[in-house]
Amino acid sequence: MNRGVEEERARIPMSQRPEWADIRPVPQYDGPNPVVPIAYTDEFSETMDYFRAVYLADERSPRALQLTKEAIFLNSGNYTVWQFRRLILDALNVDLHEELHFVDQITKDNSKNYQIWRWVAEKLGTQIASKELEFTREIFSQDAKNYHAWSHRQWVLQALGGWENELAYCDELLEDDIFNNSAWNQRYFVVTRSPLLGGLEVMRDSEVAFAIKAILAKPENESPWRYLHGLYKNDVNSLVNDPRVASVCLDVLLDKRDCVHALNMVLDLLSHHHQPSNELKDAVDAVSPDPKPSDSNFAERVCSILQLVDPIRASYWRWRKTSIPAQD
Amino acid sequence: MEDQEYWESDPELLDFDRDRHIYYLLMMYQLLPSPYQGQEINRLTLAYFVISGLDILRALDRIDKEAVINWVLSLQAHPRNDSTLEKGQFYGFHGSRSSQFQSNNNGAAILNGSHLASTYCALAILKTVGYDLSLIDSELLLKSMKDLQQPDGCFMPIHTGGETDLRFVFCAAAICSMLGNWNGMDREKAKEYIVNCQSYDGGFGLIPGSESHGGATYCAVASLKLMGFIEEDLLSKKASCHIINVPLLLDWSLQKQAQDGGFQGRANKPTDTCYAFWVGGVLRILGADTFINESALRGFLSTCQSETSN
Repeated sequence: MNRGVEEERARIPMSQRPEWADIRPVPQYDGPNPVVPIAYTDEFSETMDYFRAVYLADERSPRALQLTKEAIFLNSGNYTVWQFRRLILDALNVDLHEELHFVDQITKDNSKNYQIWRWVAEKLGTQIASKELEFTREIFSQDAKNYHAWSHRQWVLQALGGWENELAYCDELLEDDIFNNSAWNQRYFVVTRSPLLGGLEVMRDSEVAFAIKAILAKPENESPWRYLHGLYKNDVNSLVNDPRVASVCLDVLLDKRDCVHALNMVLDLLSHHHQPSNELKDAVDAVSPDPKPSDSNFAERVCSILQLVDPIRASYWRWRKTSIPAQD
Repeated sequence: MEDQEYWESDPELLDFDRDRHIYYLLMMYQLLPSPYQGQEINRLTLAYFVISGLDILRALDRIDKEAVINWVLSLQAHPRNDSTLEKGQFYGFHGSRSSQFQSNNNGAAILNGSHLASTYCALAILKTVGYDLSLIDSELLLKSMKDLQQPDGCFMPIHTGGETDLRFVFCAAAICSMLGNWNGMDREKAKEYIVNCQSYDGGFGLIPGSESHGGATYCAVASLKLMGFIEEDLLSKKASCHIINVPLLLDWSLQKQAQDGGFQGRANKPTDTCYAFWVGGVLRILGADTFINESALRGFLSTCQSETSN
C-alpha cells in the first residue's frame, strides 16, 4: 500500500504509544548468515516485532486487531497475519460488513487477497453477492482485465448467484473494448454455465452471430475467432458444416483486410475435410503477396500464403503443411 | 570453453551485458532494497530468482553455497512433537521468518506456516547449489503435502486454507519430481483438474473457467510433463496426446508471440519478458520451440535490458 511520506512522518512509533507500553517487541531472528536480507524500514521492523509479540502471546484483543491492520498495510500478502486477524475477528465477534469494507480497500491496492474475501463472503452469505459483483465492476472500470478480480467474480456467481445481468455486462464491456479477451472469456463462462440460459447448444446460434459481427468489425482481433471456434468445442464437424464460418472467412478475405486469422480458420476447416468453394479459393489466392505460391494442393497453398502474410510464424506454417490430412 | 568466451562467441549475445546482470543479482543477494519488504513473506522465492539467475549466468561460484544451504534448511518446518502431526499440518518450508515462529508453551496460535510455493523454491535452490536432496527428511513433507490436495485434484498452498489453483498443482508436481517420490500427490486427480483448466481457445486458466494465461499454461503443461502424462518432444514424434487438445494449445501459444517479438500472456494484452519464459517453456516442452521466432524475441528482450552508460 502506498503511503505518503507525510503519513510516515506523522506515525508515532509503537515504542512511544502508551497503550503498548506493556509489550516487549520480539525481533526477527534470521540466523547467522541470512541470504537475500531485506532492508526493512524502521516502521516495518517495529510493526512486525510487535506483531510477533502479540502472536506468541495469542492476544486476541482490539489493539491486536488494529495492529494486524497496520501489518497488512505494510505486507498484504502475509497470510500469517491474515490468519491471526481471522482468529481475532471470531473472538471479538466483529461486524463482518466492516471487515468486508476493509478487505475491499486492501484489495483495491493489491490484487492478491481474494481468499480472505471469500472467507468473509462465505460468512456473510448470499446477501453480499450483488455487493461483490458491484465491487468487481468498479475494479473493471479501472482495469477491465484484472485477472484475480475476474476469478473472484466467477466464484461469486457460482457460489452466491447473481447471473441475471451477466451476459448484458459482457455486452457492455465488449462495446467498450471489443479486444477485451477477459470479457470474451466471461461471455463463454456465462453462456456455458449460467443456470438461467440453457447451456451452450441452446445459445450457440445467437452467439455465432455475435462473434461474426465482432470479426467483421475487427478481423485482426484474435478473441472473436477463438470464441467462434470455442462455440463448437467437442463438435468440430458442426463447425465445419456451419456455412456461416466459411462465409465469414470469405467476407474477410474479400475485404482484403488483415486476414491471418481468417486463413488460419480456413486451414482448420480444410484439416477437417471441408470442401472449399471456388469463390473461397479465389479469395485466398487474391490476398497472397507476390510471388504467389504454386502449391497445387489448396491446403498447402494456404500454408504457403500464411508464411508470407504472417512471417513471424513462418516456420510454424511450414510445419502445418506437413500435417495436413490427405485431401481428395 | 571459458565462460567469457561462451558469452562472446555468439554475435547476437554481444549486447547482452552479462557482467552487469551478475552484478545486479549479487547486489540483490547481499541486500534487497526496502520496497521489497512488501514481499517479505516470499523472501525465499526472491532468493530463488537470484540464485537461479546466477546459475544460468554461470556465476554461482560467486556465492557461498554452504551459507545458502544452511539458510534454506533453517526454514524447514519440523513438528515439535508427535501430537502436532495429527492436526493435518503441512511440513514443508517457510518462505521467510515471518511465518516461522519459535515454539513456546502458549500453543493455541502457533501455527506452522510453511507453504507449498516456498517448499518448491527451497528444493529448487538446494538442487541448484548441488545439495543432495536425498538428505532431506522428505517422508513427512510428502505425506503432509498429500493432505493439501483437494477432492477435485487441485492443491491448497497451506493447511490453514488459501486460494487453490494451478500454481500449486505445479509446485506439488515439481516437489514430487525433485524428491523422486510421488507419494505426495494423487497424479490422476491432479491430471483431471488440469484438463478441466484448458480453455475453449487452447490455453489454460488458473482455475476451470478462467481466461487462458501464459503462466497458468506453463503450470498446466509442465505439471503434466513432470507427472508423465506428456511424451517427450510430442510434436517431432507426431505422437498424439488425448488428454488435452495439443494442436489448439500449440496454435494459442505461438499466437502469443506479438509483432514486437515478445510474448503476451493473454490475447490482446501487452508483451512482457516473463512470458518469454512461461510460453517459451510450454513450447519447449511440446517440442515446438523451433517455431519461436528467435531473432524477433531476442530483439524484444534486448529492449528490456536496462540502459547502461558507457
